[in-house]
Amino acid sequence: MVTPPTPKDQFSGIWVVVERTQTGTLAEATFEALTAARQLAAEQGNTPITAVLLLGDGDTPDPYQADLAAHGATAVLALTSANLATYSGQGYTQALTQAIAAKKPALILAGATSTSKDYAPRLALAAPLALMPDATQLTMGSSGQVEVTRPVYAENMLTIVTAPDVRPQMVTLRAKAFRKGEAPAAGASVTTETMAVDVAAPTLQLVGISASEAASSGKSLADAEIVVAGGRGVKGPENFPLVEALAQSLGAAVGASRAVVDAGWRPHSEQVGQTGKTVSPNLYIALGIHGAIQHQVGMTSSRHIVAVNTNPDAPIFEIADFGIVGDLFEIAPLLTKTIKDKNLTPA
Amino acid sequence: MNIVVCIKTVPDTAQLRFDSNNQLMHDNLEWVMNPFCEYALETAVRLKEAIGESATVTVLTVGDARSKDALKKALAVGCDQAYLINDDRFNGGDTVTLCHILNAAIAKYVPDAKLVLFGQYSSDQMSGNVGPGVGQLMEIPSLTFCKEVTLSGEQATLKRETEKGIETYTMTLPGVVCMMKCDYELRMPAIKGVMKANRTEIPEVKLDDLGLSADQVGAGGAFVTSMSFTRKPQKTGGQKIDGSDPQAAVNQLIDYLHQQQIV
Ligand SMILES: Cc1cc2nc3c(=O)[nH]c(=O)nc-3n(C[C@H](O)[C@H](O)[C@H](O)COP(=O)(O)OP(=O)(O)OC[C@H]3O[C@@H](n4cnc5c(N)ncnc54)[C@H](O)[C@@H]3O)c2cc1C
Ligand SMILES: Nc1ncnc2c1ncn2[C@@H]1O[C@H](COP(=O)(O)O)[C@@H](O)[C@H]1O
Repeated sequence: MVTPPTPKDQFSGIWVVVERTQTGTLAEATFEALTAARQLAAEQGNTPITAVLLLGDGDTPDPYQADLAAHGATAVLALTSANLATYSGQGYTQALTQAIAAKKPALILAGATSTSKDYAPRLALAAPLALMPDATQLTMGSSGQVEVTRPVYAENMLTIVTAPDVRPQMVTLRAKAFRKGEAPAAGASVTTETMAVDVAAPTLQLVGISASEAASSGKSLADAEIVVAGGRGVKGPENFPLVEALAQSLGAAVGASRAVVDAGWRPHSEQVGQTGKTVSPNLYIALGIHGAIQHQVGMTSSRHIVAVNTNPDAPIFEIADFGIVGDLFEIAPLLTKTIKDKNLTPA
Repeated sequence: MNIVVCIKTVPDTAQLRFDSNNQLMHDNLEWVMNPFCEYALETAVRLKEAIGESATVTVLTVGDARSKDALKKALAVGCDQAYLINDDRFNGGDTVTLCHILNAAIAKYVPDAKLVLFGQYSSDQMSGNVGPGVGQLMEIPSLTFCKEVTLSGEQATLKRETEKGIETYTMTLPGVVCMMKCDYELRMPAIKGVMKANRTEIPEVKLDDLGLSADQVGAGGAFVTSMSFTRKPQKTGGQKIDGSDPQAAVNQLIDYLHQQQIV
C-alpha cells in the first residue's frame, strides 16, 4: 500500500460536487447525488453534507443555495477562479485537489456524467483518492465501509467494491439508479464559504457546441422516461417517421440498434447498447430489434420492456415483459393512433 | 509526431458463460481487443496516414500472453512498434496501478509522445479511469468521450459527444484522448500487414524495466478492491401475444400499459 499522506481518521463528512446544466440550472444528477448523500448521512448519524460548486469569475453560489439546502446540503463550498469559467479536466482537478487538502472530506459523490467521468479519474491520482465510478447501489457495509455496486463485463455482471484504506473515497452515481428524493426541509439554511483556488489557464478550449439530433428534439436518451427504439426491421431511414410518431405520442426519446446506426439511418447519439448508450427508462419499446446481447446490455435495466417483432424466436422476447409477434408496420401506426384517439399520456 | 495507443484485451462479453451459482466460468472465455480500443487504434492509423512518414504509432498493452494477438493485429493494420507489458507482480492491481505502469512505459519507450489514445471504457472493467489518469501523471490535458481527432501541427481538434450535444474542443499537444465509437469503419489487416507483423519483434516489458517498485503496482498499490463478482439478475420474458390481428394486439398492449400504470 502506498501510504496515504494523511491518516484516514482525519477525513470526515460527505461532499456532493454540483453540476449545472447549460442553462444554469442544477442538474438532475446533483439532486440524485444529494438524495444518496442524505441516505448515507442518516445511516452514519447525520454526517454533514457539503455541496461543492466550481465557479468562474462573476459567478456566484447565490441562485443555488436554497435549492441545495432544500435537498439536504448542510453547507455550500464555492471554489472560485477566473480559470474555472470554462471547463477543463485539469482545472477541476486542481481546484478540487486544493479543496480536499484543506477540508479533508471522507466521501465525495457526484452524478456519473460526461463531466465527472472526465475529471474524476485525474483527481483520483492528484488528490489522491479512491474512485469508484458508475455506482448503481451504495450501502454501508457491516464493517462501516461504504460498499459500492457497479456494473462490469458490459453490464452482464455486478461487482461490489470498497476502498478500506484510502480517504477520500469518490463515487459517481449512475443516472436514475438513485432517484431524486422529495425536498425534505424547504427553508433550511446553509452556511456558505467561498475559497479562492489556484487554477492554471487550460490548454484545452471548448470552441463550439451543436446540439445532437437527440438533444435538439428535446428528449435526451439518457434522461427519457420512455424510449421508442427501431432496428433493422424498420427497413430504411424513410420509415423512421413511424418510430418518431410513436415516440412523439408518448413524449418519448428515439433510440436505435447499432445495425441501424452503422447503416447511416440514424445518428450515433441514438445507439443503445454496449458501444452506444445504456438506458433505464420506465418503458422501452423495441420495434424490429432482434435483441442481440450487445443491444440487450444497454436496455435490460428498463423497468418495462415491450417488443414488436415478426420472428417469434427473436431473443428480444426473452427479456420483453410484453411481446407482440407481429409486423411493426401494422402495429406501430395503430398504437400511435390509439394513444392519440384515447388521449393517453404517460403517468 | 509520435502517437501512442493503449489497448486492452478483454473477454468477449457476448460469449460469457455462468454456472448455476451465477459465477462467471473462466474456462472457455474468448479473448478479443476491447471494442473502444479498436476505435483508438483506427484513429491512430488514420492520423499516421494523414501525416505521412514522420508519424509513428506505438501500441502498449498491460496483460499476459493472451494479449499478444491484439498487438499483432495492431502491427498488421499499420502500427510501427508494440510492447507487451507483462509481469506477475501486476496482479491484484486496479486502475490506479495501471496508470502508473502505462505512464512509466510511455516515459521510457515514447518519451516524446505527442498524442496518447485510449478507449473510453474497457468492456470488462467499464471504469474509464485509465486514460485521464495517465494524462494526470503525464501532466498533460485529457479529453474523454471523443469520436473524431484531427491534427494541425501540434494543435488537435476533438469532437466529443455528450448528453449536451456534439462539442468541439481544441487541445494543444501533448495530450490524452479517450475514444468512443467513431463514425468510420474499422479496417481489417491485409496479408502484407500480417506478414510484416509476424516479422516484428514484440518486446516483453517487465516491472524492472519500468523503474517502478513492486509496492506501486499490484495489490500493494491498489486503492480499490473487489469483494464479489456475480451475474446481473436476469430479466425474464413476460407474455408474448400473437399480432396477426393488429387492433386486438394493440388493445391488449394498451391494457398492459394501463395495468402497469405507464399511461
Ligand atoms: C463489439 C460489438 C458491439 C456491439 N454494440 C452494439 C450496440 O451498442 N448496440 C446494438 O444495438 N448492437 C450492437 N452490436 C451489434 C449486434 O450484435 C447486432 O448486430 C445488432 O444489434 C442488430 O441490430 P437489429 O436488431 O436492428 O438488426 P437485425 O439483427 O437484423 O434484426 C432485425 C429484427 O427485425 C425483425 N423484423 C424484420 N421485419 C420486421 C417487421 N416488419 N416487423 C417487426 N419486426 C421485424 C427481425 O425479425 C429481426 O429480429 C455490437 C456488436 C459487436 C460485435
Ligand atoms: N491493461 C491495459 N493495458 C493497456 N491499456 C489499458 C489497459 N486497461 C485499460 N487500458 C486503456 O484504458 C481504457 C479505459 O479502460 P478502463 O479504464 O478499464 O475502462 C481502455 O480502452 C484502454 O485504452
